[in-house]
Amino acid sequence: MNATTPASNEVTLEGVSKAFGPTTVLQDLDLTIGAGELVTVLGPSGCGKTTALRILAGFEKPTDGRVLVGGRELTQVPPNRRGIGMVFQAYSLFPNMTVQDNVEYGLRVRKVDREKRRRTAQDMLEMCGLGEFALRFPAQLSGGQQQRVALARALATQPEVVLLDEPLSALDAIVRVQIREEIRRLQQQLGITTMFVTHDQEEALAIADRVAVLRGGVIEQIDVPRAVYQNPATEFVARFVGSVTELGAAADYQGGRLPVRAPGGDLDTLFIRPEDLTLVPEPDGDCTVVSQIYTGERTTIRASSQERDAEGNPLELITSVSAAEAADLTPGTRVSPYVMSSPALRVTAAERHVAEREAALEAGEGGLRAAGAASVQAGAAR
Amino acid sequence: MDALKHSRWVPVAAVALYVAIPVLCSIYYAVFPGGEFSLRAYSVITEDASLAAAATRTLTITVLTVITLVVTLVPALVAVHLWAPKLRPILEILCTLPLVVPPIAIAAGVMALLGMAARQGRGSVPNAISQFLQNPDLPLILVGTYVVLCLPFTFRSIDAGLRTIPLKAMVEGSAILGSSTFGTIFRVVIPNIRGSMLFSVFFAVALCFGEYSLAATLSQQTIPVWLDDVSSNNFRASVAIAVLLNMTTWGLLLVATLSAGRFAPAGRAARAEKKLQKKTTQKALAS
Ligand SMILES: Nc1ncnc2c1ncn2[C@@H]1O[C@H](COP(=O)(O)OP(=O)(O)OP(=O)(O)O)[C@@H](O)[C@H]1O
Ligand SMILES: [Mg+2]
Repeated sequence: MNATTPASNEVTLEGVSKAFGPTTVLQDLDLTIGAGELVTVLGPSGCGKTTALRILAGFEKPTDGRVLVGGRELTQVPPNRRGIGMVFQAYSLFPNMTVQDNVEYGLRVRKVDREKRRRTAQDMLEMCGLGEFALRFPAQLSGGQQQRVALARALATQPEVVLLDEPLSALDAIVRVQIREEIRRLQQQLGITTMFVTHDQEEALAIADRVAVLRGGVIEQIDVPRAVYQNPATEFVARFVGSVTELGAAADYQGGRLPVRAPGGDLDTLFIRPEDLTLVPEPDGDCTVVSQIYTGERTTIRASSQERDAEGNPLELITSVSAAEAADLTPGTRVSPYVMSSPALRVTAAERHVAEREAALEAGEGGLRAAGAASVQAGAAR
Repeated sequence: MDALKHSRWVPVAAVALYVAIPVLCSIYYAVFPGGEFSLRAYSVITEDASLAAAATRTLTITVLTVITLVVTLVPALVAVHLWAPKLRPILEILCTLPLVVPPIAIAAGVMALLGMAARQGRGSVPNAISQFLQNPDLPLILVGTYVVLCLPFTFRSIDAGLRTIPLKAMVEGSAILGSSTFGTIFRVVIPNIRGSMLFSVFFAVALCFGEYSLAATLSQQTIPVWLDDVSSNNFRASVAIAVLLNMTTWGLLLVATLSAGRFAPAGRAARAEKKLQKKTTQKALAS
């Protein structure tokens, strides 16, 4: 990414698979993080984010595939000789050491002299806003403070590659934004190649050079944040990153007023971001405003349709408007949806049919395999 | 009701008396010869060179036993906890085995083995090994046997200690910062199971200080054996030294119990907190 940074810290996962017994957690994962790049990994719980990170760190051996850093193969190198920094999901601080000693630990292992160790650790702690806690033990800190110690500890050795496993999950909104910007600033300044796992899609979009969306051990999409949000590659990405309204539309629909119909049959499915959808009050509108959620700058409007989907539930429409516009959209108002710009994703009826057929085939194959293998285990693996 | 409350102390008092009376009697016997206070019985410490030799021997054996136990058992247990939890029951059975074999049987077995090796004849390798193990300056055979005798207790205590800490997280946290597994064990794991470690160490020390039958059978003059030898001609001296030994062992056990609580991370954290509070209140008062 950055031409001046030596390519020595480019990170590559090459066809990495990981299975725990019968459970396949990662499938043929290919991921390259350029030198000095920050990639956030976003995905639902249990999709294999931590596992991917642990394989990079060397705590798990991939069942298949290779791990490379700066072109050097590390698949068989133990964690302590990879020179990678990591913040664990569970902090993993040493309870017998003070905050200061925790941060100094990596330098102590590297036999850095005492004076320099002290100084580096103090700097790191100051940076993370922990200066006054240097002499405390981890048990005397709040969850958020512990998380910051873990961060300071990981950065103290100035690693070229840093892995962060939900490093900000225990912090409040303000500190969270502060620290993530601090991480971003440091990361760019030092050219640290970073893999940042998070649950929080706003966070993922805010600090990343690129966002990787992971689902069931497979990367659904990896691209710059804007592209992931505005042009999701798959339905899953459209639903997982940001909120979205799903509506059916005729194949020749090109924008404007959209008659509300459930996706399915020979209709295309539109995935529409809130800012692309406008709800206009109309006496004969086919939707009704259900709720207004005031979130500060914007107000989120939810509406539901008279039209039902295949399961008999009303369709849900989500848009966000300014406070002034919200006045016309009180709950109970009849509205019609207008799609103003092109939707984030359009899945044509033909594409959907193909996908459905593939899914059915896969399920069939799975069924056949299950019948062959020990049925209990295959059932667990699903 | 009140009577019931107090009656709970009866067994405690009984046990205390049962333990205390013989000790008090021996102290009295040692330092009040003929009804007058005198430490003359302890002059044997400076007068009898064989006591110093026995003490050195006992100390050497103790130190080696403790080191061997820690260096072998801690890494083995950490490895089992981390990478092979299925092997734990096997290790447990192996380590508990010495408990079901009477020490005297172990002594007889060791004797038989050493004797057999010695009978291979002068100059033969087994004979040399047998001689080497029984070298009175450094009776390694006793170190080996004491390690085996300590195994059950050390195993239990360290195993319990490792269960109470997030071992895997600590080891991984240390590894990613560049530490080798052995470095991690000494820098992180052992300090976090200080209580268990101290218990094991002091148990081993107490055992090495007090063990008689094996040392006597192998005719190695450790302190207990020396006491027995001396008691035939200078009984008061042997009692005096026995009292001293007793006190040392109890002192060590007391230190172990106290320090186990004191060195536990929670305890240290609590004390650091107190210190911190004191500092801040002082600051507040000063300003
Ligand atoms: N050691 C293990 N043995 C068996 N299964 C495991 C092991 N570690 C993880 N898994 C399984 O692998 C899957 C992925 O786990 P992973 O921890 O990578 O999820 P994650 O994406 O980090 O989730 P979260 O966001 O909740 O942290 C889960 O279904 C989990 O049950
Ligand atoms: Mg995780």
